[in-house]
Amino acid sequence: MTVPAPQLTALLSNRDLDRLARLRLKVSRRFTNRGRGEHLGVKGGTSTEFCDYRDYTAGDDVRFVDWNIFARIQRPYLKQFHQEEELHVALLVDASRSMLFEEKLALAQRLAAAFGVLGLRGGEKVSAYALGTAGPSPRLQPTRGRSAQGKLFTFLESIEGGGDTPVERGIEGFLRQHSGRGVAVVISDFLTDGDLRRSFNLLHNAGLEIYAVQLLGPSELAPEITGDLRFVDSETAANLDISAAGDLLSLYHEYRRAHEAQLTALCQQRSGKFLSISSAEPFERVVFDLLRRRGWIV
Amino acid sequence: MLPAFTSLGNAWLFALLVPLVVFYFLKLKRPRVAIPSLMLWRQVLNDQRVNSPFQRFKRNLLLLLQILILALLVLAAMQPFLRREAARAHRLPVLIDISASMGALDHAHGNTRLDEVKRSLRERIDGLLPDQELCLVAFGKTARRLTPFTNNHRELRDALDGLTVEDVPSDIEEALRLAQALGRTEPFDRVLLLSDGNLPTQANFELPFQIDFQKTAPGGSNFGIVAFSARRAPGGHWQVFVQLAGSANAESSTGTLELRQQDKVIAHEDLSLTRGSSPRLAFDLAGGPGAVLEARLRLNDFDSLTSDDSAWLTVPATRPLTVYVPDHLAGYRHALAALEDVNVFPQADTPTPAVFDLVISDHEEDMTKPARVRCAIGIIPPDVRSLVTVEGKSSQAIDWRRDSPLLQHVSLRDVVFMDQPVSTGVTTEDALAQLGYEILAQGEHGPLMLDKRTGETLSIALLFHTDRSTLPYRVGFPIFVSNLVQTALHESGLAEAEAGHTGVLSAEGFNPNASCSISGPANYRRTVQADEQGRLTGIPAPHAGDYTITAGGGLPQSVGASLLSLSETSLAAVDQLQFNDQLTVAAATAPAKSDRTLWWIIAFAAFLALLVEWWWFQRPARAV
Repeated sequence: MTVPAPQLTALLSNRDLDRLARLRLKVSRRFTNRGRGEHLGVKGGTSTEFCDYRDYTAGDDVRFVDWNIFARIQRPYLKQFHQEEELHVALLVDASRSMLFEEKLALAQRLAAAFGVLGLRGGEKVSAYALGTAGPSPRLQPTRGRSAQGKLFTFLESIEGGGDTPVERGIEGFLRQHSGRGVAVVISDFLTDGDLRRSFNLLHNAGLEIYAVQLLGPSELAPEITGDLRFVDSETAANLDISAAGDLLSLYHEYRRAHEAQLTALCQQRSGKFLSISSAEPFERVVFDLLRRRGWIV
Repeated sequence: MLPAFTSLGNAWLFALLVPLVVFYFLKLKRPRVAIPSLMLWRQVLNDQRVNSPFQRFKRNLLLLLQILILALLVLAAMQPFLRREAARAHRLPVLIDISASMGALDHAHGNTRLDEVKRSLRERIDGLLPDQELCLVAFGKTARRLTPFTNNHRELRDALDGLTVEDVPSDIEEALRLAQALGRTEPFDRVLLLSDGNLPTQANFELPFQIDFQKTAPGGSNFGIVAFSARRAPGGHWQVFVQLAGSANAESSTGTLELRQQDKVIAHEDLSLTRGSSPRLAFDLAGGPGAVLEARLRLNDFDSLTSDDSAWLTVPATRPLTVYVPDHLAGYRHALAALEDVNVFPQADTPTPAVFDLVISDHEEDMTKPARVRCAIGIIPPDVRSLVTVEGKSSQAIDWRRDSPLLQHVSLRDVVFMDQPVSTGVTTEDALAQLGYEILAQGEHGPLMLDKRTGETLSIALLFHTDRSTLPYRVGFPIFVSNLVQTALHESGLAEAEAGHTGVLSAEGFNPNASCSISGPANYRRTVQADEQGRLTGIPAPHAGDYTITAGGGLPQSVGASLLSLSETSLAAVDQLQFNDQLTVAAATAPAKSDRTLWWIIAFAAFLALLVEWWWFQRPARAV
């Protein structure tokens, strides 16, 4: 009789962890740290993999001169190698009150755990931030190695939503604490009246490739309205009177799709990626199907 | 055509719109729904398309629907109607002709005229506005009020449904008089007359109101019996006469006329009837005990009216005339002896009957004998003695009523009377007329011969004694006696018989104050009491047929009632009515359009709006 192995975390099953171990983040920009890592740098580096030759200039390290070529043609050439640089994967989980609806925060925690595992298993530096919490934003200091998985999971599980800080202000707060280049995985519903363009610019300028995941609940994707209603904003407690009318919903969907298109454009213009999914989507389908097909992970 | 309103005062109910709007906004309690973010919804509501007038309308559609419903209900309460009559009558008597011609069918298995009238009147009742009242009056030979002035649709419809055709000729004057009487208590200015136009063209009536004469289409081809009588023929036989007539639009037809007695055909004659023909048929009937004869017309083609296809005639028993003449009036007895079927009393060895048909006497006490006709010879009636005295002078007749049945073919010229009646004053003739006397012969200074009808008794008074005149020696004397006998035969019903008409039934020969039960056609049942003379009078007989009268266990007596109306059988329809004051009322053939009430349409629209509101409120918003 086989005794099932204990779960490392409630966020991810052991099976999901095994599957994630075979996957890596696919980064299109080389915003990487100088530290050695498993990602190849754009510039030549100190890895063992040959990349190219170049003319020797004064001051170059003579250890990289190809002496065989020098002996044959009496001119010094320097061998260049791929530089394997360290990637900083920053996980930004929106934990504002709006994320408490329809299991959005739970899916965001699981997705963040998945991205974190991908980073840690890939030998990257991983840090995590909870945006928009009730109190000071909790933060997981940059960490690396498989042994850091436990800390990552503990941090993510401890995130409690309920704050009212908009996501753009949360991003700005994150950037004040963050250093390093790499990938910023922002998981939020992005339902904010604030200026996301500025926040994304700041992320881009900080050397972070934006991986934006928008989570919307089923009631946000396909709302149903009957009669006269008073909507109350979960974060601002503002009221808005709505009366059911046929064209109202079509307009809502029109604006929702426009918002989605705007987010997509903001990300793509900054070499980032954007994905909008429903909180009702199964986690496995999102990670192992959707993200792979969209080329987020390989 | 703009609608008018009968209850315009209810427009104040529109003021309810104010509290409706106020309460709508005050009591509009929207369910609070917490959502993640208002960001998208704000954008949606800020969209110009959402804020377009139509979208605003849709957002407040519930309020607008409620306003619409209230407005429709208030409009319905204001009782709108479409005016389709030039003049509206708030109180309208409706005179409905139910005479026999109204039972004429338009075609085989078709509708009667009364059915058509009922149909149009039902539409009018349905369209009756709240401030309008109808009073239904049915008239045939007499008129009766079916309902008072009322707006109660059920009462009016029930009265209309219970209306049936009566087999009587129509008399519009009765209906107009009744309408006039109604107008004294509840004034009105218009009367609606619904008829097939089978009415007298001239009405002796001064119209105090306007008449709307609505004429229905006439019935189809019709033939019927218009006269049925019998005359006593020599030898104790009866000559039975039946006259037929047809309608103006009658088509040629064939058939049979049957003469029936106790449901047995005793005679019949085949007929070939053409338009305009009016054949008179005669049948010979042996005398004997009294009998009820039925003449029945059977046609092989369509006949629109059935009530004139049968007629009933009561033929009296054949018997001699009983005459009382004192023995000393030998001239009279001699003249009577030459006549057939006359028994003159007193006779030797023959008991004198208690009742006579004719009494001729110069004794005042004989004038008290019960008889149909009494002829006093040389006796001044007690009530005339103050007006006329008799002097013993000779006189002659100056003038006499040659058209009187008594004096037909009797010439009093050159007859010398040794009694001279003298009037006591110049106003004697007027005084005699007031007493009910008619002067049959006038002498030089006063009346010579008078007659007076008292009930069923005819009294003839010769103010001179024939024995003191040259009259018995004249050829006119036996003619005079024969005229007396004919008059007595006529008065006793022994000479001829006429079929009784529908309308009022009369019969006699019952015990005084006897309770009589009467049964007749169309489930007719009635119990009446005979008067002190044992007569039944004033019994309504609305339907043609054989009525059976049974009095206190006695033998039932049959009395026939027949339509026998040329005007009803001919189905002649007048196009206009002429009244006393030279006023002419033309008939309208197109049905009058009554005002159309709209409240129920508006109320129904309000109900539909309510359903729309409910549906709108309950429906989920359309998903995309």
